[in-house]
Amino acid sequence: MQEQIIAILNEICGADPGEIRGDTPLFDEGLLDSFALVQLIVALEDQLSVSLDPAELERSDMATPAAIAATVAVHRA
Amino acid sequence: MTPYGGLTFFCVLALVLIPAVVLGLMGRGLRRYGVLATVALLLVIFDTAHARLLLLIFWVWQLALGGLSAALHRRSIGRWVRGCLVALALLPLAAFKIAALLPGLSVSFLGISYMTFRAVDALLDVWDGKVERFSPLDYSCFLLFAPAVSSGPLDRYRRFVGDLYRPVSGSEYAELVRDGVWRVMTGCLYYFVFGNLIWHFWLEALPDGGAGYWIGYFYGYTFFMFFNFAGYSRMAIGTAYLLGIRLPENFNRPFRSVDMKEFWANWHISLSSWLRDRVYNRFCMAAIRKKWFRNPHTSAYLANLLTMTLMGLWHGLTPGYLVYGLYHGAVLCGNELLDTRWKAFKKLKKRPLPRAVMTVVTFHLFAFGLLLFSGQLL
Repeated sequence: MQEQIIAILNEICGADPGEIRGDTPLFDEGLLDSFALVQLIVALEDQLSVSLDPAELERSDMATPAAIAATVAVHRA
Repeated sequence: MTPYGGLTFFCVLALVLIPAVVLGLMGRGLRRYGVLATVALLLVIFDTAHARLLLLIFWVWQLALGGLSAALHRRSIGRWVRGCLVALALLPLAAFKIAALLPGLSVSFLGISYMTFRAVDALLDVWDGKVERFSPLDYSCFLLFAPAVSSGPLDRYRRFVGDLYRPVSGSEYAELVRDGVWRVMTGCLYYFVFGNLIWHFWLEALPDGGAGYWIGYFYGYTFFMFFNFAGYSRMAIGTAYLLGIRLPENFNRPFRSVDMKEFWANWHISLSSWLRDRVYNRFCMAAIRKKWFRNPHTSAYLANLLTMTLMGLWHGLTPGYLVYGLYHGAVLCGNELLDTRWKAFKKLKKRPLPRAVMTVVTFHLFAFGLLLFSGQLL
């Protein structure tokens, strides 16, 4: 699932291949902002069938691709 | 009486807070005492029959809408009903803002902007089924919470109610007292010392007209607004801590921000995050899901303009506030454009010298916005 999330992030953030890894700090690196987060949540809804509310999420929930994968897993359970 | 406005208010505040501190240090819950404290402080703050009547009507109106939202949300009623309830919750605010424009009509209602947004927050949470049980008493405490009644910070309903019911031991409360007293004291320093010094010895001492006046006002007003508002917020947050409520922070070193997106994450945080969650995110999600625009970034530009214009008009329905909101919407669109179209922009933000230059530019962009806000230009 993490690879799929990285692929989504690459497209949204316009990142170069390999720029985003599992532990990349997305907010600190300036890759995720409010709009990119909304785009990510809609893409996760479409591709991973998980419904997330941005207002409910802590910054740490979406801090890295690994953290996003864990958050998706929790919300799918 | 103006909250945090002078020695008399602080004497009353001390009388109200001393029993809270005693109860809290004994490990006793402050939920019931908090109701008494809020009623006592509201009677002091709203100290005329006219002001109390307005507050009573507003409270009953919003309570009825909250109750209606709780009664209707589980039924299969169209989303337009939710829209109507939100519109009705906003109605008193709109009426007062419009009335304020009418010549010869002097109307004021302390804190109506903040209380209205708190009411809308609760109403949406209740309608969205995020609140298990709607308690009129908890809702009233949230809506009218005295330490933040006039100028925020703008708290969230579920966070506030969570604090009301969270058990706090005596030692935990002692830490709250320490943090709360520190905030009240530093808030006083900001508000009464730095704010007043800037007002009396900088802004009031400016030369009449000319470049000297405008340059002095540009910087002086920006620093005055920061110390005045951040100081006020710190006093409100510290007072709330003593009543067991951890109000959210409102400022986080905003003048260190490298661009305007970062700036709004650090200035008047409670309002900007409220608008982000309730307006910006909802607009963008609807636009992306329903594919309103061929280019998804169009929704970000429009959401910035919509959100910041609303933020401007929330302060008042005057051309100055409208231009202030539109200006910040346009600046955020420019920020978005640079972030998406100029890849080096994000990399430059991390290098020391460009970062320092961008921080200075961001400060000046904001200071110009405050000049529009001040009404000096329009």
